[in-house]
Amino acid sequence: MDQALQHLVNGTVLGGTYALLGIGLTLVFGVMRVVNFTHGELYAFGAYMTYAAVSLLGLDFYLSLALATLLGMALGAAIEFLLLRPMRRADIDSTMLVMIGAALVLQNGEMWAWGGVAKLIPNPFPGTPLVVGPVSVLPLRLFVLVVSIALLLGFWLLLDRTRIGMAMRATFQDPETAALMGVRINWVNSATFAIGSGLAAAAGALLGPVFMVSPTMGDLVGLKAFAIVILGGLGSLPGATIGGFALGFVEEFAGGFVSTEYRDAFGFLLIILILALKPQGLVPAKERIG
Amino acid sequence: MLRLEGVSAGYGRIAALAEVSLEVREGELVSLIGANGAGKSTTLRTISGLLKPTTGRITLDGQAIGGLPPREILARGIAHCPEGRRVFPHLSVRENLAMGALLRRDRAGIAGDLEAMYARFPRLRERSGQAAGTLSGGEQQMLAIARALMSRPRLIMFDEPSLGLAPSLVEQVFAIVRDIRATGTTVLMVEQNAMAALQLCDRAYLLETGHVLRTGTGAELLASPDVRDAYLGGAI
Repeated sequence: MDQALQHLVNGTVLGGTYALLGIGLTLVFGVMRVVNFTHGELYAFGAYMTYAAVSLLGLDFYLSLALATLLGMALGAAIEFLLLRPMRRADIDSTMLVMIGAALVLQNGEMWAWGGVAKLIPNPFPGTPLVVGPVSVLPLRLFVLVVSIALLLGFWLLLDRTRIGMAMRATFQDPETAALMGVRINWVNSATFAIGSGLAAAAGALLGPVFMVSPTMGDLVGLKAFAIVILGGLGSLPGATIGGFALGFVEEFAGGFVSTEYRDAFGFLLIILILALKPQGLVPAKERIG
Repeated sequence: MLRLEGVSAGYGRIAALAEVSLEVREGELVSLIGANGAGKSTTLRTISGLLKPTTGRITLDGQAIGGLPPREILARGIAHCPEGRRVFPHLSVRENLAMGALLRRDRAGIAGDLEAMYARFPRLRERSGQAAGTLSGGEQQMLAIARALMSRPRLIMFDEPSLGLAPSLVEQVFAIVRDIRATGTTVLMVEQNAMAALQLCDRAYLLETGHVLRTGTGAELLASPDVRDAYLGGAI
């Protein structure tokens, strides 16, 4: 029981960052109908930028996280402007190929810039875990959880309570009519891609100090982000949030009780199972906000 | 007020409009009638900037507006209430109305207009927090009209406002269109229901395969034998 409680806490920490990754990816698909293969690389980019800011420039840890997220948004906006905007009328296959190419360029760029050796990001938190009853959690992980949830809430407020959020949801539902209302569709697309990329970079910046930073770190994470999004139902924001936490819990519990070696496999096993039973994902299309 | 001179437009290589010329004067209610595929909707879509004209000139008060993006057209006072209502299904009724006023910055004016819409369409007030997709077809049409009015347009374009509505609602929609014109807003309306459209309008244009076949007052077109044969089912 105590062990289960511990896994629950760990799973929540992991799930929070997975949810960030998932909503970033599903948002881009929902608004722009673009399958964003660069998502995992933006995650790696966020981690490397945090490393650069903390270790190379000697900047404050918290400032570095914010900086990495903003740079991720800027990179996302650049990708949208340079690659996706000219491809607006192209078919989905061509756009996918371009995004796969961009992901390869980003990953090899990271390899070239930082080398293949994994980096460690120093953090200001004490290495001794906080112990509450049977549960112990590292302060850094607690910080990651708090920031993830703050970002999820902030994102939800942006989407639900602001004019740009309303314009984004309207564009999500009916781009042509949104244009008739005066929405600048190009602008919404840039903002959407920048926000989606920023969320991925934020997840990388948060998990970078927890794990190690390496050029291929985006591969598995990109794959997981797709799994989360498909699990939740393509284009569904609540679905991606639920899917993110579900994947976090499954990995933690299966890793803890069954086999640590195969922890990643259990997540995908769950996805195969759910899709076999409910092919439209956890949150079907008609219930999607957006 | 609005003038189209030799405007052609289309989708890809298919020309849907061939040299259409028409005019809407300040305060008028003008109808576009014609069969399916005659280019009625394409005309409205070209005016509102969803399609770019390939040739010809579109002017509003003498200023060229052809090829401007929809946002600029709306900012110049032309609202387009699209075919099939096209309310945002997952936005609330209130948010749909707010979308109509997206370009406006006068908070007090927007709040006043919102109140006016609720007073005019009480059902929308009752359902203001509900997702627009849960409204009935008639309510959605009222919402689409109210949303278009929220931009305070000088010219409002309706595309098939009566499509798919029960007869009693059709009457109601036409009454609303008449009211809108009575308050000084100019109206350009596309209607399948040629009889109603001709009775309602000051002037009308009959479109066929992308060009203007005939024009005149509503009464003139109603009396014209070929209009009667082709579009009014022969007998009146």
